[in-house]
Amino acid sequence: MQTTIRKFKTEPFLFHTLNFLFMIFVAIVTLYPFLNTLAISFNSGLDTTRGGIYVWPREWTLKNYEAVFASGKVYHAFWVSVARTVIGTVVSVFLTAMLAYTISRKEYMFRKPVTLIFILTMYFSAGLIPSYFLIKDLNLLNTFLVYILFPGAGAGLISAFNMLVVRTYIHTLPESLNESAKIDGASDFRVFFSIILPMCTPVIATISLFTAVGQWNTWFDTFIFASSRQELSTLQYELMRLLSSSVNSNANPSLSSTAAKDTATMITPLSIRAAITMVAFVPILVVYPFLQRHFVSGLQLGSVKE
Amino acid sequence: MGVRTRKAASGLFMLILTFSIVAAGCSNNGNNEGGSSPASQSPGASSAEANSSDTKVEPFTISLFTAATGPIPTDDNKIYKEIKEQLGVTLKEEYLVGDIEQKLGVMIAGGDYPDMITANTKLTAAKAVIPLEDLIEQNAPNLKKHFGKVWEQLKDPADGHIYWLPNYGVYQGDFKPTDYMGPAFYIQKAILKENGYPKIQTLDEYFKLIEDYAAKYPEIDGQPTIGFSSLAFDWRDWGLRNAPQHLAGHPNDGGVLVDPNTNVATLYSATDTAKPYYNKLSEINAKGLMDKEAFAQNYDQYLAKLSSGRVLGMFDQRWNFGQAHDSLVSQGKFERTYVGFPLVYDVNTKDYYLDRPPINLGNGFGITVNAEDPVKIIKFIDTMLSEKWQKRLNWGEEGVDYLVGDNGLYYRTPEMRTQQEDVTWKQKYKAESLWGYLPKLEGNYPDGNADGPGNQPDEFFANLKDIDKELLTAYGFKTWTDFFSTPPENRVSYPAWNIDLIEGSPAKVANQKMKDLDFKYLPKAILSQPDKFEEVWAEYVAQMGKVDTQAYLDRVNEQLKWRADAWTSK
Amino acid sequence: MPQHNIHKVEIAPRSAPRTEAFWRKMVRQRQLIIMSFPMVAYVLLFAYGPLWGWLMAFQDFKPMTGASIFEQKWVGLDQFKFLFMDEGFIRVLRNTIAMSFISLILGFVTAIGLALLLNEIKKTGFKRLIQTISYLPHFLSWVIVTGLVSMALSTEGGIVNIVLMKLHIINEPILWLGEGKYFWGIVGLTNVWKEVGWNTIIYLAAIASVDPSLYEAAEVDGAGRYRKIWNITLPGIRPIIVILLIMNVGWILNGGGFDIQYFLGNGQVLDWSETIDIFVLKYGLKLGNYSLGVAAGIFKTVVSIILLYCANLIAKRLGEERLI
Repeated sequence: MQTTIRKFKTEPFLFHTLNFLFMIFVAIVTLYPFLNTLAISFNSGLDTTRGGIYVWPREWTLKNYEAVFASGKVYHAFWVSVARTVIGTVVSVFLTAMLAYTISRKEYMFRKPVTLIFILTMYFSAGLIPSYFLIKDLNLLNTFLVYILFPGAGAGLISAFNMLVVRTYIHTLPESLNESAKIDGASDFRVFFSIILPMCTPVIATISLFTAVGQWNTWFDTFIFASSRQELSTLQYELMRLLSSSVNSNANPSLSSTAAKDTATMITPLSIRAAITMVAFVPILVVYPFLQRHFVSGLQLGSVKE
Repeated sequence: MGVRTRKAASGLFMLILTFSIVAAGCSNNGNNEGGSSPASQSPGASSAEANSSDTKVEPFTISLFTAATGPIPTDDNKIYKEIKEQLGVTLKEEYLVGDIEQKLGVMIAGGDYPDMITANTKLTAAKAVIPLEDLIEQNAPNLKKHFGKVWEQLKDPADGHIYWLPNYGVYQGDFKPTDYMGPAFYIQKAILKENGYPKIQTLDEYFKLIEDYAAKYPEIDGQPTIGFSSLAFDWRDWGLRNAPQHLAGHPNDGGVLVDPNTNVATLYSATDTAKPYYNKLSEINAKGLMDKEAFAQNYDQYLAKLSSGRVLGMFDQRWNFGQAHDSLVSQGKFERTYVGFPLVYDVNTKDYYLDRPPINLGNGFGITVNAEDPVKIIKFIDTMLSEKWQKRLNWGEEGVDYLVGDNGLYYRTPEMRTQQEDVTWKQKYKAESLWGYLPKLEGNYPDGNADGPGNQPDEFFANLKDIDKELLTAYGFKTWTDFFSTPPENRVSYPAWNIDLIEGSPAKVANQKMKDLDFKYLPKAILSQPDKFEEVWAEYVAQMGKVDTQAYLDRVNEQLKWRADAWTSK
Repeated sequence: MPQHNIHKVEIAPRSAPRTEAFWRKMVRQRQLIIMSFPMVAYVLLFAYGPLWGWLMAFQDFKPMTGASIFEQKWVGLDQFKFLFMDEGFIRVLRNTIAMSFISLILGFVTAIGLALLLNEIKKTGFKRLIQTISYLPHFLSWVIVTGLVSMALSTEGGIVNIVLMKLHIINEPILWLGEGKYFWGIVGLTNVWKEVGWNTIIYLAAIASVDPSLYEAAEVDGAGRYRKIWNITLPGIRPIIVILLIMNVGWILNGGGFDIQYFLGNGQVLDWSETIDIFVLKYGLKLGNYSLGVAAGIFKTVVSIILLYCANLIAKRLGEERLI
């Protein structure tokens, strides 16, 4: 024992130091774009045009944020976003996990066709116009339900990708669990709920994050399916609208040449984009740690004993 | 296991809780914001007396769809409130957020149109909009008067109906802009001052000044001087492609030169009209004066360079670098701002950079087939064209946005001007995105005031800096447009750039291919060694020969001829 | 599996007992069926239902008020011809596959590597902090990220050129974004920069499932760090790696993103930057030709399915986890 410990003593130290330094490097490199965006969001737009803003604002201002919040529409939209994210994620993660469980069962007679049907959805797109007709025919235009049901960026009820991730994870669990439960006479529902689901915490946390971020970030379904009802507007959609109005007013020759030419633009598309990015990101930053512990804590959580 | 389930549940609970807390914080603010706006007070009495002169309209909602070109109005926006109180019209606006092609695609497929919609040839082709000529004749005296001169030009080339009300291009009185916003070879005022305000007419004179100045000042504010830059990013392609037509003395017809006598269009891309210019740029590059990454940079990089004050000159349209100009002004680097010159190949050619704004049917409003009461809508648009509303939308509110001088002319105090720069203020008190699309009175009002503050001569002079005054005096000019020849009356078929090439047609495909070739070969020719220029150019010409340019030219010429016939018949 | 097939063939003629067995099996597995069929119905309606739109690929589709798809002009295979006959098509295809491939390989290697290294950090707080920081760029839009890349690679004071010149690796600034030969690499590295942290999440979750008793046993056997990674951690996450690889092979015609080429590309590097999606945007949607995009979509789907089938087959032969 003594010798082995001594033998490994310098090696872990070297490894940990190098690993530590490497991680610091990764952190700096990946933190930079974020800090830069943060700095720009607090910097006067016209001053940002000059360039040379790195991680600290040169001319402090809150104007960019004021512009984001001034219309007042973002507050209600925030709630709609929260609702669609929470409901959409809970429903989708639950159904996806349940489906993944069924196709993880080797003896399930429809395992292959069901799996195939879902896999293929990742590789084709029917196009926007037919999808629009479907949503219209189902009377889902301008309803909240479209956010939950439409299989676009937000994933809809089922994400085939997530389904496969969960299935693969279930495959790595010891088969014995399943069998012992079966011998006890537990039904499939019970096996799923009381054995599989609890053991899938890391992967459930992962796909919850994927789904929630997808739901939170998407604005496209609002744009196509729900744009004519203000009360259904989502945060991302409101932010995108602000951004495009800012871009347009800086890109419209006729407007720039007459109506707006006597007024300098204090807020530029660049600065408003930075502020918007931050506003949309803060909720994720707040919620993330609660999910993170489920997939980063590693060994303690992976335990399958008992 | 039980522990883990609880953990998952508590995680989810925390998630919801956090959302709620964050949201509650925000939503309280929201409520306060909302609460401070006066609740819908009955407009009855107050509005009746306020608008005795206007045609009274019953409470009515108009839905409209545009791309917002200005700050998005708040719910309690003052102008929208006035419109509602005085005209009974509630505007339900939807703004474009993503891609217009996608949005219009589903809108047309589903037939789900608002009442008013932004002009687009796709909508005309899909029969989404109704003919307006009878509506205007019967209900809209202001519009009738406004568009009277250009009535024929409003008609659709395919079926002769009027579908769109263009927002710009109809002038009252003289055409006399003070600021120049169009294309030109721009050069820093500091260079002109250094050289005693010389006259610049040709590329040689222009680049000589830049060369000498760059040699004398290799650095500006500690950064290397850039002699000449330009831009070819995404749709902002004129910096690379448009200069030759102007150098040859032609106005902006897009991708073609149109002979004013025969009204026939020819291409100038990859011809001897274009070659001398790019050859010149290649020489400039060899001297180290060309910004090597000009055609590989993005828009923000371009603006940043200009704003740093180290770019001596560029070919561009003035409005495209407005942000950089504003930035230079705010830094106090007035001598680094630019003046545009209308350069020509041959001094005997009369420059034609400054043009009389044409009618552009690709912009403005139309009324859709879904509108239940088009008469009320056209009456609303007509009312907005009245002098009262035009002033309200463009100048603002008297006493708040402008004051009236003893001579009856409007002016703004410095505080008022500053206020106009505040986007959050605009969201509450201006309606720029609506205003941008409405037909408008341009030129002067009968009382002598300019259409808007930007064109009021006194406002213009009040904003001039010392170096501007010095420069204008030295050249013997009063405004920036004086640097350009006064444009003749527009050729009837002018301009060719707004010809509808028809969706998906060979003409449109050819147009895209020509653009691709320009983007690929022109920078290559400019950046290659001067002795390689001919080689690259020959390859470019050869590739261009493979494109079906005839399809493009045929369509353009057919439309030019149609315009000449249809628009001169009256 | 093969035995099962033989069994099937044998009993095929005796249909009555077979159907009976079928029904009995269904009854026995009714709970699994109840747990999956509603979702199948959903996906058939929402994902497969609109597939009639593929008819557009054989038309010159123009949106028309109140017109059904059958009133459109049929053009047969014209859209496919336009796509495949274009002299640039091979080049566009090459760019697409090359950039997908580079991004795929770089993406996998870096994400797995980072996940393994993160897993070796003993201090939970530090591990979480680094992990959180590394995923931040995922939430920035491509406009912002590509803007920063352009800035860094600029010849006018871009950090990359400055550093390389200071190190005397180059003598004068290189126009990174103006020369096609650098473009693929830039796309690959930019993808890594933006997504590496985000991509580790899935591997970290997989690592979390590895049975700790295996490590304990290995330690007793005197296994070192690298042997534990090699013999326990990597095999533990191998199924998810294989599954993700197979899935990504099917996306090879996506070109490793769209925005990245759209924002970083320019005329000078067009021959290296133009992907199928960008070609379709330029010659389809932007010219009002909706059908071209649908035709390209069908082409991509067909290729995807063939590639998936092959990848799945290979995985099966190697005895790895597979899609079906």
